[in-house]
Amino acid sequence: MQPENFYYDNKIVRNFGIATVVWGIIGMTVGLIIAIQLYHPGMNMGNQYTTYGRIRPLHTNAVIFAFVGNAIFMGVYYSLQRLLKARMFSDLLSKIHFWGWQLIIVSAVITLPLGITTSHEYAELEWPIDIAITLIWVVFGINMFGTIFKRRERHLYVAIWFYIATFITIAVLHVVNSFELPVSFLKSYMVYAGVQDALVQWWYGHNAVAFFLTTPYLGLMYYFLPKMANRPIYSYKLSILHFWALIFIYIWAGPHHLLYTTLPGWAQSLGVAFSVMLIAPSWGGMINGLLTLRGAWDKVRDNVILKFMVVALTAYGMATFEGPMLSLKQVNGIAHFSDWIIAHVHVGALGWNGFLTFGILYWLIPRIYRTDLYSKKMASFHFWIGTLGILFYAIPMYWAGFTQSLMLKEFTPEGMLKYPNFLETTLQILPMHIMRSIGGGMYLLGVIVMAYNLTRTALQGKLVADEAAQAMPLAPVQTIARENKWHRRLERKPIQMLVISLLVILVGTFVELMPTLTISSNIPTIAAVKPYTPLELQGRDLYIREGCVGCHSQTIRPFRSETERYGEYSKAGEFVYDHPFLWGSKRTGPDLAREGQKYGNAWHYNHLMDPRLMSPGSIMPNYDWLITQTLDTSLTGAKIAAMRKLGVPYPAGYENKANKDLDKQAREIADNLSKDHIKVKSDKEIIAIIAYLQRLGTDIKVSKTANK
Amino acid sequence: MFKQFTENIDGNQVYLLLSLSVFFIFFIVVGIVLIRIRKHHVIHMSDLPLHDGVNNLSQPSEL
Repeated sequence: MQPENFYYDNKIVRNFGIATVVWGIIGMTVGLIIAIQLYHPGMNMGNQYTTYGRIRPLHTNAVIFAFVGNAIFMGVYYSLQRLLKARMFSDLLSKIHFWGWQLIIVSAVITLPLGITTSHEYAELEWPIDIAITLIWVVFGINMFGTIFKRRERHLYVAIWFYIATFITIAVLHVVNSFELPVSFLKSYMVYAGVQDALVQWWYGHNAVAFFLTTPYLGLMYYFLPKMANRPIYSYKLSILHFWALIFIYIWAGPHHLLYTTLPGWAQSLGVAFSVMLIAPSWGGMINGLLTLRGAWDKVRDNVILKFMVVALTAYGMATFEGPMLSLKQVNGIAHFSDWIIAHVHVGALGWNGFLTFGILYWLIPRIYRTDLYSKKMASFHFWIGTLGILFYAIPMYWAGFTQSLMLKEFTPEGMLKYPNFLETTLQILPMHIMRSIGGGMYLLGVIVMAYNLTRTALQGKLVADEAAQAMPLAPVQTIARENKWHRRLERKPIQMLVISLLVILVGTFVELMPTLTISSNIPTIAAVKPYTPLELQGRDLYIREGCVGCHSQTIRPFRSETERYGEYSKAGEFVYDHPFLWGSKRTGPDLAREGQKYGNAWHYNHLMDPRLMSPGSIMPNYDWLITQTLDTSLTGAKIAAMRKLGVPYPAGYENKANKDLDKQAREIADNLSKDHIKVKSDKEIIAIIAYLQRLGTDIKVSKTANK
Repeated sequence: MFKQFTENIDGNQVYLLLSLSVFFIFFIVVGIVLIRIRKHHVIHMSDLPLHDGVNNLSQPSEL
């Protein structure tokens, strides 16, 4: 047999690399802007399109799907070709994949500031974009499997299993979490409601972390770390154990995001049990990475790329130790909704994802440009300012999380809340928020220096767009002696690998999701809970548009510190008409689950116009545009009809007279406001959002008075 | 602390026992598979990233 000559496609790798750096800078800049808004609300530039609630999803989407996403594709397109000794299956599919993905990101950059969102965290994009994501993901899959089929290396290296598991699991997660009923071209309602919607969302949310931020990166680690250190991975056997254990266990852990909520207790316990187990495979991966450097630690001292990798692996180890710990109910009771979680995710994002990406970029760009890195000093500067940036980010956030949580839970000896005003606890931690933004700024500065360094590197070299390579073609399978070891056989059967990975992740998915989605007794209904009026429904959609859920939760946990502060704890039956659920995951402001009727309409009007009028020192932005903008009622009928299709018991034909009821309720609120000398037309958006806020959590209060 | 976990579970403890057995069985099965893998195969597999069919002489110097 003669060796075959072929060429690796480096151009697509370069393109994804550029996209990684560009979107990274954009995503992190948006992050810095919203971080500053948390102590200086004026940073929203008095503009609804750049206000926290709307651009926080832009930050998360940009860093997850644009920065990390492009970095994954860069690393996969580089390593896959070389591990399989074959060029990518189709240059055209590579191009479609690249430009399609960038187009999706651009559409996110446009729609999210406009308030077009499903409000599902990390899945905010509306249904037409969801379809585009599915199509592009399939293109990526075809391109990857096409390459695998025409490979010149029989056995698939462990990195490729991680890529395969990533591909199939993200596909399942994305599809299940995107069941939406379109109301118009850019508006839809989630098919699931309340508790069920929450469970699906956090099954998705947690596994997006697992299969977008972790498994592909572990694959990259297993390829690039041996290349960088020029030695094989510490233990290939450990990598097999690591892989199967990780994908099997991860999928169960989602419910730890919903501890103490109205999710059935058994699902919470199951989520906790598997979250604790997760430490085993996670640390297996970290140890395997770090031990690869055994005997090469002298290299780490003067090789900045390895430094990035060591910090990345250490951050991974810290975040995956913290994850199981945070999932313990006792710890979660303190940490959840607080800045502690922000610290936790950023140790993972900045340390693990960020630093691993930078390590790969510094290693890969000089190689595909056949030159040396422009400046090692700059890379070293990047390493140190980035590491310090992570510390300056995380430590204040841990501090802030503890402080605020403990303040919120503190009682006086008389049994009263020591800090009954939520704002007091917010003001206490503002210095920490300032420190955090400095840390984030340092980290971003490092990335900008890297961008300059890499640009100069590229300019001084010349891209080897098609890199010549040589390998023996695969011998026909029949000539290989039958092997008894089934895992070894599996390593050369990509489709079986795909199917088994799929089965492994479906076990946890079914056990966890199906009972809550199908057995109605898991969600006891409450007779007093009625569907939203048309005006309240419109107000709820404004609440979704403005991203209020980014700072205000709507679920009261059964702690005395919460029932004293917010009122009766939340019940599953209260959320049965909530498509989507709006429980939130962070309390930058107080919970709103029982906000209804707590204050008068005039209070809400003034508070939305300028929160500092009612709560001096508040960090909530002004929502003055709600006063001037007219409520769009053209979709009221369609919205009612869509909700009925989803099982909300509006009477037949109600969509035709919904706007009449809407006008009536709006006039009542406007009249009520005029008694407080507030002159506002009844067709303004603020009327609808006040109607919604005044409704929140009142169903149960009503039933109490009815019982009396 | 574990007493609190068991008490916090609604209904019965079947979920704890189930997760524990799943955990152990899973690792035992993968463990058996790993023990049975041959050494030369492990060496071949872990060397895969280091051989990519490219003439590496013109690679950039180490940082």
